Order: sequence, then structure tokens, then C-alpha cells
Amino acid sequence: MSQKKTFGDESEMPMASISSDDMSWNRTGSWRNIKPFFDPRTSPCIAGCPAGEDIQSYIQLAREGRYEDAVRAIWKTNPFPSICGRVCYHPCMEACTRATHDQAVFIPAIERFLGDFAIDHQVQSPVSTTVNGKRVAVIGGGPAGLSCAYYLALTGFPVTVFEAKEALGGVLRYGIPSYRLPKNILDAEIARVERLGVAFRTSTAVGRDVTMEELTEYSAFFISVGLQKNRLLGMEHEDANGVMPGLEFLESINSGKPVAVGRHAVVVGGGNTAMDVARSALRLGAHVTVLYRRTRQEMPAIEDEIEDARAEGVVFRFLATPHRIELSQGHITRLTCQEMTLGELDETGRRRPIPVDSYFDIPADSLLTATGEVADTAAFEPMARIERGLIVADQFGRTSNPKVFAGGDIVSGASTVVNAIARGRGAAELISSELTGGKFHPRTEKKVVAMEDVNTAYFARTPRTPMTDNEHARQSFEEVHNGYTCDEVRSELDRCFSCGVCDGCDNCYVFCPDVAISRENGVYTIDYDFCKGCLICVRECPRAVLSTVNEAS
Amino acid sequence: MSNFSIPESELMSSGHLACQGCGGANAMRYALKALGPQTVLVMPACCWSVIDGPFPHSAVTVPVFHTAFETAGSTAAGVRAGLSMRGDDETTVLAWAGDGGTFDIGLQALSGAAERNDDIIFACYDNEAYMNTGIQRSSATPAGAWTTTTPAGHTKDRPKKKILDIIAAHGVPYAATATIAWPDDLIEKFQKAKTMRGMKFIHIYAPCPTGWKSPPELTVEVSRLAVQTRLFPLLEIYDGHDYHLRRDIDVRPVRDFYKTQARFAQMTDEQFDAMQRETDAHWNELVARHEESARAMA
Amino acid sequence: MKKVLEGNHAISYGVKAADVDVVAAYPITPQTQIVERLSEMCGTDFDARFIKVESEHSAMAAVIGSSAAGARSFTATSSQGLLLMHEVLHWAVGARLPIVMANVNRAIAPPWNIWTDQNDSLSQRDTGWLQIYCESNQEVFDTTLHAFYIAERIHLPVMLVLDAFFLSHTSEIVDVFDADEAREFLPPFRPIERLDPNSPRAYGNLTGPDNYYELRHKIDTAMRDALTVAREADDAFYNLWGRRYGIVEGYRTEDAATVLVTSGTITSTARTVIDSRRENGERVGLLKMRLFRPFPVEAVRTFLARAQKVAVIDRNIGFSIGGIFAQEVRAALYGASHVPVFSFIAGIGGRDVTPKTIGEILDITAASERPDRDVYWIGVKDEQLLYTGI
Repeated sequence: MSQKKTFGDESEMPMASISSDDMSWNRTGSWRNIKPFFDPRTSPCIAGCPAGEDIQSYIQLAREGRYEDAVRAIWKTNPFPSICGRVCYHPCMEACTRATHDQAVFIPAIERFLGDFAIDHQVQSPVSTTVNGKRVAVIGGGPAGLSCAYYLALTGFPVTVFEAKEALGGVLRYGIPSYRLPKNILDAEIARVERLGVAFRTSTAVGRDVTMEELTEYSAFFISVGLQKNRLLGMEHEDANGVMPGLEFLESINSGKPVAVGRHAVVVGGGNTAMDVARSALRLGAHVTVLYRRTRQEMPAIEDEIEDARAEGVVFRFLATPHRIELSQGHITRLTCQEMTLGELDETGRRRPIPVDSYFDIPADSLLTATGEVADTAAFEPMARIERGLIVADQFGRTSNPKVFAGGDIVSGASTVVNAIARGRGAAELISSELTGGKFHPRTEKKVVAMEDVNTAYFARTPRTPMTDNEHARQSFEEVHNGYTCDEVRSELDRCFSCGVCDGCDNCYVFCPDVAISRENGVYTIDYDFCKGCLICVRECPRAVLSTVNEAS
Repeated sequence: MSNFSIPESELMSSGHLACQGCGGANAMRYALKALGPQTVLVMPACCWSVIDGPFPHSAVTVPVFHTAFETAGSTAAGVRAGLSMRGDDETTVLAWAGDGGTFDIGLQALSGAAERNDDIIFACYDNEAYMNTGIQRSSATPAGAWTTTTPAGHTKDRPKKKILDIIAAHGVPYAATATIAWPDDLIEKFQKAKTMRGMKFIHIYAPCPTGWKSPPELTVEVSRLAVQTRLFPLLEIYDGHDYHLRRDIDVRPVRDFYKTQARFAQMTDEQFDAMQRETDAHWNELVARHEESARAMA
Repeated sequence: MKKVLEGNHAISYGVKAADVDVVAAYPITPQTQIVERLSEMCGTDFDARFIKVESEHSAMAAVIGSSAAGARSFTATSSQGLLLMHEVLHWAVGARLPIVMANVNRAIAPPWNIWTDQNDSLSQRDTGWLQIYCESNQEVFDTTLHAFYIAERIHLPVMLVLDAFFLSHTSEIVDVFDADEAREFLPPFRPIERLDPNSPRAYGNLTGPDNYYELRHKIDTAMRDALTVAREADDAFYNLWGRRYGIVEGYRTEDAATVLVTSGTITSTARTVIDSRRENGERVGLLKMRLFRPFPVEAVRTFLARAQKVAVIDRNIGFSIGGIFAQEVRAALYGASHVPVFSFIAGIGGRDVTPKTIGEILDITAASERPDRDVYWIGVKDEQLLYTGI
């Protein structure tokens, strides 16, 4: 750093005002009263993902063509990208800042591509580096249980998964139909868990085939049995032929033994189960009507599923509930429905349906109920506190019993696959720290990028890369949505803004009027000796990586 | 991945005296990157006369000759002749003037250099007023703007002088506009000018937060809006008649530009509408000329 | 080689002999012939660029640019053109550039007047330019070379001055030579400081009171040193070509009681008057002022040491204070001599200064011990004043 030059004698001076020195003595950083600094933030997609997937990272890796590294980045917090990429309700996409520019990035499609890539190319899962002697029992082989087993096995614990049904997967196999989640994909994802050395005991129901008290060789338990029982309508003739709980109907199909539904099927309910039931019934040849007591706005099902159902020809009757089942020879033939209207808001924040004195009839060869599921907690009553029909556990899975942990729908009530996966992993980390005496580090939130922080001037308007459909699958159980091709995924990957994480675009470095930002090996540094605090860097960062702090003293 | 493909070397260093967020600083940085060290700068009175720093210091690492306000065009012509007579036809002579030294007091010398087709690049970094002396109006100040000599109640009533048309009318090989929000474009234009013989004129739009009363962090944004609103189209004119207009840019209404700077706080809806009409008409005219030029080339 | 040349063309030949690299000029009567002949010569008779600028202000700016780039540079002008250049004349000095300019002394407008008068050049006296006043076309040719010699050593620009029409358009025999011959006197221009990307510097950056003072002091020092360098030039030129002019010239001043002080072509006329008066026994002499800036104080004191009266003839006026040469002579003599100095104004606006005019000046000087006024306007049409001039 030079000094400002002064002359002691005229003879030291040049003949005229001729300058040969630079201005590096003039530390213009002293002009500043607000200071910019690099402050990487969490992308809103990451903050929105219940599993905390580092979406920004895996998209960046995939953009560089590093698909294997990208998949491994997903596996850090979610072992099942091929599943979630197909069935998740994608809150990541709802949070995507690109929505303010043109359309949100189609993150689930990218995740699916990467998951399928790993399967097709037999990408090796990580293996555990340690082995310890403490055995853990996971009760329930659905998404929560499988996730917990995977992460425990990665940490070196011997794990045994107890599954009541014949095959693993829980709602993934027995609830979600193949046209949404093909069985071979599910099997491939589950195989990854098995390759870690996890033991499975299928057709073994804890409570029925073995009790918890008998499982003395386990140091800890994770209960993730989900919701097994259908909520009943509470109507007369609910046990007649042709009237069936939706879960049972789906299980029959997913076990390869579909129950006949006749020509007219009526489905009651507005959730994802109801949509799965309706679309499956359609594929069995029925004309399907869905009854829902509120309107489309209030339906809890994922928008994509409702849209797909509608596109396939499912008919929706809103503001209607079943009133009376009419039988003929013990079999349902007709359903009388009562109309509803919407009243005040209820405790879920939705307007309460109020019966209206108006009725109509629809023909029905089958009535499939999908009005909610409830837990069967009998087997666990002695082991942990149960309240309102669910096991009481915190967000990390701790119950009233130090050896017993729980997660998934059995704790939260009806929720989503990704929530179950997240809870499974969270519990695995907690169990691991409890059993090894290590520290438990819950995931901490960094500041999240807000929509308005992003400078979209640097992005062209490019519509979302659409996903193609297999039109034959509208009438069969083949997968309906085709995954992205290589070219399609590349164009969608390019649309990610990389919010909150620097991607080396050089805007800050190029736009600084004071040449105060330098770049070395992809890392930018602000020279605070010269930064005047104009904040152009903050403003022109497309992805909100810079923050400011007041320096006025 | 970088948004830019521009030369890495820096010929302008930190420690210069430009205001926070000065568009003229970026303009110089990019121009020097484009031209490289084999360049001589001729600088009449303008903000950069001060920005470069006091004797015996200088913020740029190319030779600089400070000269009287009116004389950028003539001094640069002399430097070019002198260098050539010393056997150096390689060094680029760059006259670097503000809008005063280009549009007003410097217009005669600039016209002389253009008419003679002197082999120089004349760059005007236009901040639309005499900023160095404290924000007085120039003929580059747009209609409706506040300056200290067009204060509230008497804001500038005359339109901005059409300097590019004036220079193009001299038939010079190259006359172009550029701005700091498109560094690649600006650098390309300077590099193109460097390869051409004769007089090249580049009009750079350089927002001034101090004089325009806009927040310093908006300088690049304002420069971008100037182009997007078509108030300052990116244009090249070869030989005075061959027009190349850059059209691949999102369009915005002129108000989006005006509302970023308090110097326009007095403009009325009628004035905004009038400017929108005028801007649209001018744009259409440029499009027509561009298409005519394309036809003539075909 | 001897040629019959008008003063303007003598300059053109001088520029060619000096092997000038760049000329930038704008025409103005009565300078036009300088640049017209140079337009023909540049690029054909010698290797030089002629920039056809669009005004005198630009002419000076252009040669400032070319000189800063290290090229030997020249311009010429007169009257209004010189005045227009005024701002940039200062620039050439502050930038310490060895530019040479020929100024044809012409009256200042309004009203328009194209005839000879010295106010144009003399009103530039504080710019820092050297000023050399020539009496003949030979002197004009020779002084062009002197000017570059001096300028390139002291790093200040030099103005050589000649009378409109009496010199500019009057043909005389001039012995000229070319650049090859001149090179021994005037080697090629190779300045240390010049615009060079290999050694980048900035020229003219903002300078505060802490340094500006010294830079101006350096100019003053250089200007004073120019007296010595001007003598050196004169000696060196004489050694090669046998002609010399001095920084002043005393003509028959050794025993003169009254000494006339003149400049320009009035000097030639005055010589004949001195000779004729001497024949009548009058002890009169003549001091020719050649160098005006730097003002040759010591030389003036020396040549006027034994005079009892001094009569300065000024073809110019310093309003309210008298002739400009007179004012400077009085200042030079202050503290050294009490000789009375008579200030005579004659020839302004090209009015002829004849031997009779000069005779009248001598008579008025002889008639009183001391001047009864600080300035005498010879021949002014004013019944109150008694002096008739022509």
C-alpha cells in the first residue's frame, strides 16, 4: 500500500504536474456507512422441504453433469428420490422464487430423474464405516421406518425392520397405485436399504405375532406403523357388499387381487387417498363419482392429483355427502346424497359444511370410503403415552419412554411421505446420539432468501420444461407421467436461480465501480479498504448472496 | 458460471475519487479493459479530471493527458498525429469526455475531429449534466430533469441533444451507444472501434446517483432501465447511414426509468405520456432504419 | 541558398528546416501564406502532418497534443486567432511543451483591422510564452530555428513575432537551408517526458496549493534561464552560419545621450533616422528589443547605463499606463538608473511610422528634461495635443 506522496524540496518534483504513482494510498473504505458482505442463505426450496434436501446443491451438481454426486447429495437427507420425485406434494416448488419470474422450477421432475439415474446406473450407496453392537428395532416398514433404518444402518447400527404385511413399503406399496409409483421403482429403492445390511421380518405384526416386551435384544425401538384403519362413515349398511374402505380397496389392487367395482363407483372423500381410489376404480372400468362435502378449494389432495383425476374423467360432486345406502340382495345399488353448504370457519381454517335439506340419488355398484385414517395403537399402549389416538412424540421422535421413539403418521396423524421420511431420519440421528453418547445436533435454520431479494434481470424468460405423459396409462396401471429425458432435465436444471448460494456469475466482481471485489479460485473477496459501500454488488447479485450491515458509529 | 466474457486485466485501480456508485467509474474500467495498455487517454475537464486523483498520483495505468474543457477532439487529434510521426500507429488514442466536453463546449473540436476523420476513439460518458461543477444543466440533460440551473419550477424544457445523429451526420466510420449494464456489449464496441481506422464515437450512458438523486446501488439498474425503456437504445451506425439496432431486450414503460430518480420528481403524467409517445416514435424510426440498412446490405 | 521570400514564407522554410513533425493551423489574414505554403510542403518536401483544424483554439490544443506525444510541433496565427488561443497558451506553458508559434502582429477587433499592431502578442505576456520580435525576413527564418533550440532545452513554448504586411507580405532576400544542414544546430526532438504506453504517466492532474506554487516557481526559473540559453542559441547559430542577433541589439548606443527603444520593423526605420541624426552631430542611439519575454533586464540596464534620456516607441498601448515596452523598460531600470524614460505611442492599427514620425519623437524628447506626461500619442487626431506624427 503506497503512501500519499509529499515533496520536501522543489528539486524532488517533476518539471510539471506529472504523476507516476498510483492511488492505492487512498483507502476509500472510510467513506462507507453501510457495508456489504457475503452472506450465503438457504434457498427457499431447501427451507420448504420437510426433509431438508439440499436442492440447490444437487441441482448445481447436476448442472455440471455430476449426476452421481447429485444423487448422493439427495441421499444425505432422503434415501428415496425416485419415490418422492413421483409422489411428493413438492412444497419446494411452491417456495421456488422462479415463480415470480416465469414459472417455478420443476424440482420433483429433476429429483425423479436423478433417482432413476441412480437405479439405472446402479450408483453405489454409501456404506457405513463403523459397526456397533446396539441393535435397533424399527416397527413398520413404510417410508418413516425405512428411512430410519437406512440412516441408522449408515451409522453402523444393526437394524431389524418388522413389517406386518407380506412386503415392505407401507402406504408406498399398498396405498399409492402403480400408475403413480411403479412397483419396480419402489423395490429398487427398498433394495438400497437392504444392501446396507438391514434385516427385514415381514408378515410379522408387533402386537399380534410378537410383543414389544419380547424384543429384549433391542436397545431402542422406532415405531412407524402409520394409520391402519379407515375412519367409518357411521352409516347403516356400511358393511354391505360393495361398500368398502378405500385403503382396503387400494391394498387389494396393490397386492395384485383387485376387487371388482362394477359400472358405477362412488368415492367419498377429498384427500390423496380418495384420488388414488377414484383413479384406480376408473382403471377397473367404472364410471367414478367423487363426493366431497366441501368445494374443490378445500380439498386436501395435491392439486396435481385432483387435476389428473379430472383429466382422466372422474366426476366431482362438491358439497355433498352420503345419506342413505340402498341395497338389493345385500349389495349396494344406489346412494342417496345430501347437499351441503359452507358455513363459518372451523378449527382447520376451512369453512364448516352444513347440511341442507336437499337430496339426490346416484347409481352405485360400489361405495369406497376415503374420509380419513386412524391409528391402531393397541400394541403400543404399555410402551409410550398415547393421546387422541396417536403416539405422543416430539419432532425428533422422543416419546415418554427413553427406549421408544416414534415418527410418521402414527405421531402426526395423516401427513405426507416426505414428512415421514424426514421424521425417520431425525429419529435415527437422535437414536444414534442417545445410544453412542454422542451429541445430537438438530438441523438449524439459516436465513432464507425471500422472493424480492432475487434480481431476476439476469434470467431470460423460459417456461418450465413440460413433462410428457404416457397416454395409454390413463386406462391401465402403467406409469402415467414420463420422466424427463437427458435434454429435458438439462434445460430444466438451467432454470434454477441457485438462490442464496453463489454460483460464480461474476456480477459483483464486474459491477463494482471501485474494483474492490476480487475473485480467486471461485471465491470472491471484498476489499474493505476500498469498498465505498455503494451496494451495487448487493443489488445486482441475482441470487441474494450479499447482505448489508450498518457501520455508522 | 460467469455471466461475462471480458478481459481479466485491470487498468483502473481502487482508491479513485468517484462518488459511491458512479457510472463513469464502471465506464472507464470497461473501456480500458477493452483497449488494453497500449492506449493514451486524453481527458478534458470532466468528473474524471478529479476522479483520477491528485498530482503526483493517477488511478489508471495508461498515459493520461489532461486538457482544457473544449479541446478533447483537437488535443486527441494532435496526440494521434504526434504518435504517428514518432512511428507509433498502434497505440489507441482515446478522448474521454463528459457530456459537457462532448455536447456543448467540446462540440466544435469534436465536430472538427469527426469531419477530418481523425484516427481516434472519442468516448463520451454521459451523466446528463455538468456534474463535476455541481450538477448544472447541459444540452444532454433530458427534458423534465431537475439540475441546479433548471431548478424546481423551471426544470429543463428542451429535449436532450441528439448527439449520435450529429456525429453520424459527419459520416464517421463508427458511431455507437453503450452502457454499463451491458459490459460485454460496451467492451465489444470498443474493441471493434480499435480495429477500425478513422474517427469512432461511442456514447456511453453513465448514471450519476449524486446528480440524478437515485440510490447508489441502483446505478446498474438505472442503466439497464434506460435501455429497456428505449430512452437510450443500443445502436451502431456505420459510415453515417448503416444502422444496427439491438432489439433482443425486454421492453419497459418509460415511467419505470423515471421513478428511480428524484430529479424527475416534478414530471407530470402529461409529460410522461408525451415522452412515451416520443420514445415509441423514435424507436420505430430506428427500427425502420435498421431494416432499411439490412435490406441494403442484402 | 538565397531566395526572395515574403516573411510568411520565410517562416514556412524555417519550419521545414527545423524538421517539424506536426503542424496544426487555422488561417487568418495576414498569416495565411505561412500555412498555405506549409500545406504544400508537408508530406511532400518534408515528412510532417498538417492537421487542418477548425479554429485557432483547436490549433493550439492539437499541437499541445502532438508535442506531448513527443513530436516537434508548430502553429501560426495572428490577432483574433491568438486571442482565441489564450486559454490554451497557458496550457502549453503549464504542460512545459516546447511548441513554437509564429504570430503575425495584427490589430485587435472591433473594429476589424488587419494591419500591424503589437497588442495581440503583448497581451499574452503573462502566459509564460517566450516572445522574440523580428526585424527582417532573414531574422524570421533564423529565429524559427532559434526558437526550437531554446524551447526544447528549457521546456517552454516560444512565440516568434513579425509585423503584418511590413514583414509578412514583403519580400526580402533570405538565405535558407534545409533540415540536413540544420541538424547540427537542431538535433531531432527526443524528450524524456512524452505520452508513452510503455512508461505510463498522467499529465496535469489536480494539484493543490501544496504543490502548484513550486510548479509555477519552476516555470519562472526556466524563463529566467532562457536568457542564457537564448545567448547560447545565438552563439551556436553564428558559429555555423555567421549571423547573430543578440537578445537585444544596441545600435550606436556607446556614446548616445538619447537612446530610442524599438521593436519590430520600426527598428529598421529608426536605424536610418539615427544615422541621419548622427550626421548632424546628435548623440543618439537605438536599442532594439528582440527578446520581450524573458525581459532582458540586465541587458537593458547595461545598454541604457550611459543614456541621459530614453525614448521608447510602442506600437501598442497598455491602457491607462502607457506603452507596454516603456512600462517594462521603466520597471527594468527601477533601482538601477534614474534616466527619464519617455513613452511614445505610434503606429497602432497599422498607422505608418515614418522617419518623420521618429524624428518628431526625438525632437519631443530633446525639448524637455523629463517627460511632461507618462505617454505621448504621436499623430493622434486631437487638437489639444500638439503632436502631429505623419
